[in-house]
Amino acid sequence: MKTSILPVRFLKSLLKWFVLLFFLAAALLPIVWLFINSFRTNIELQVSSFALPEKWQFSNYAKAIQMASLPRLFFNSVLVSAFAVGVNVIASAMAGFILSREHFRGRDAIYTVLTAGVLIPIISFMVPYFSLVTKIKLYNTLISLVLVYSAVNIPVSIFLVTSFMKSIPKELEEAGIIDGCGFVQRFTKIVFPMSRSGLVTAGTFCFIYAWNDFIMAMLLTSSVETRTIQLGIKFFTSQFITDYTTMFAAIILTIIPSVAAYIFLHNKIISGLTAGAVKG
Amino acid sequence: MTKKPLSGTSGVWPLRILFLLPVLVLFIACFVYPFAFTLYASLCKWRGIGSMKFIGIGNYLKLFSDGTFHLALRNNMIWALAQGFIQVPLAALVAIILLREPKGWKILRTVYFLPNVISTVAIAMMWTALYNPTYGLINQILVDWFGKNPVNFLGDPDLALGAIIFQTVIYIGYFMIVILAAGMNIPRELFEAAEIDGASTLAQEFCITIPMLRGTLVTTITLAMAYGMRHFEATYLMTGGGPAYGTVTMGIDLYLKMDALRYSEASTTGIVLILLGSLVIGLIRKIFGKSDPMSEMAQ
Repeated sequence: MKTSILPVRFLKSLLKWFVLLFFLAAALLPIVWLFINSFRTNIELQVSSFALPEKWQFSNYAKAIQMASLPRLFFNSVLVSAFAVGVNVIASAMAGFILSREHFRGRDAIYTVLTAGVLIPIISFMVPYFSLVTKIKLYNTLISLVLVYSAVNIPVSIFLVTSFMKSIPKELEEAGIIDGCGFVQRFTKIVFPMSRSGLVTAGTFCFIYAWNDFIMAMLLTSSVETRTIQLGIKFFTSQFITDYTTMFAAIILTIIPSVAAYIFLHNKIISGLTAGAVKG
Repeated sequence: MTKKPLSGTSGVWPLRILFLLPVLVLFIACFVYPFAFTLYASLCKWRGIGSMKFIGIGNYLKLFSDGTFHLALRNNMIWALAQGFIQVPLAALVAIILLREPKGWKILRTVYFLPNVISTVAIAMMWTALYNPTYGLINQILVDWFGKNPVNFLGDPDLALGAIIFQTVIYIGYFMIVILAAGMNIPRELFEAAEIDGASTLAQEFCITIPMLRGTLVTTITLAMAYGMRHFEATYLMTGGGPAYGTVTMGIDLYLKMDALRYSEASTTGIVLILLGSLVIGLIRKIFGKSDPMSEMAQ
């Protein structure tokens, strides 16, 4: 650094900041543009989408909430995501316990097959999911979505939970056994509580998938009663076909929860993501 | 792993099976059965209702001579290459810059990742608005600043694919975070030693950072290409595969066939998609060398 000549250093720094600011703009500008225009009238939008609103049109938001039945959509999405996370995390914790703490033949084969599921593009299963769900009379129910969301994330969760549980010292369990812990207590009293942060990471992945999924919701549900938020966005874009700014308001409303959660939890989310990504 | 089993673990087979059962049931219902079903359906004549009639590889022969499928195959390759060799290198570039901890790097890192927490649907709808020929930001810039005529990006067969790929690859947040985290693990001493030896920053990046990140880069490229092969949502929402099938991908092809009640042909596309996806992943690992596959595919 010290040996560089000034202009070269300046040029490098200029280039560096150009790259950083370009991606900053890419990440923020579209959202800011959508946000500002969601407070303007359609006529203002057509004339120029650059300016700030002459008068902030909060009525766009009132209209969006009313027309898109947003509370219902939110309720469905929260319900489905929460149950999917619950089923996924409990099932993965139980299986992860066996796959990490018990020794028997075929254990590693089971683990390999389960985790190899990540290689499958889930969209290639649209036909069997649809026909299976119809066959067992779960078409257009939120239960079908809970089951699919929790199952699709099994490979990722098994990987995360099992590798986390393997890192828990054996001695703790041995001490527990001496104190009279049986098989079930080893799980409920020792391994399950100790793997909490691994389970949270697995649950976060499952939640992000369930909350953001569009394909399965489109495939497996059809009525307003079972519509989730992501499917809702698609529907109001056709509902507000000429009322763009109200549509913008509706989109903004649907992204507020994720963005708010991210603003408060960004450190946890980023470290959770990297915990799984950097070798376990 | 060679440690002797814990005492108190014998005679618990029923419990072991009970603990594995929920995962096995879900896995069989949503992975094993669907795979077997799709494979069988791809060898049958079946329109969703009635029984399946076994016809052998007829659907595959039909698929390989299907013009739409050829386009889908081409577009899938373009998607995989764009995500693997445009999105990941851009993410790596930003990560390498941030590794030097410039002013505000933590805030930048947080903001770059922000679009990744917003759903694909919302992002796709937002970009549909941005590309709109009359009120979209991009066209207003073209018209007001450069005096050009408005361009219907999503309605033009030559531009639509590029337009959708663009709104995917500029969101580098996820891969950037992964590469940055790996970069943080490079021992600082390496850079300090290079500094003393008089190596410039750029030389350090090429001789230390990039080689040390090799494994992570292979992983992220593999992942990005796998995502590219699976691409569906943004295209479905922004163009539906059009105009003139210009943006069709294998996922879209599958969906359109299913929508037209050509279930067995949709299944054929599904099987080919699974095989090609695995092939791409295997190929990348062959070319660039492997690193611990599972720990990294799990993302």
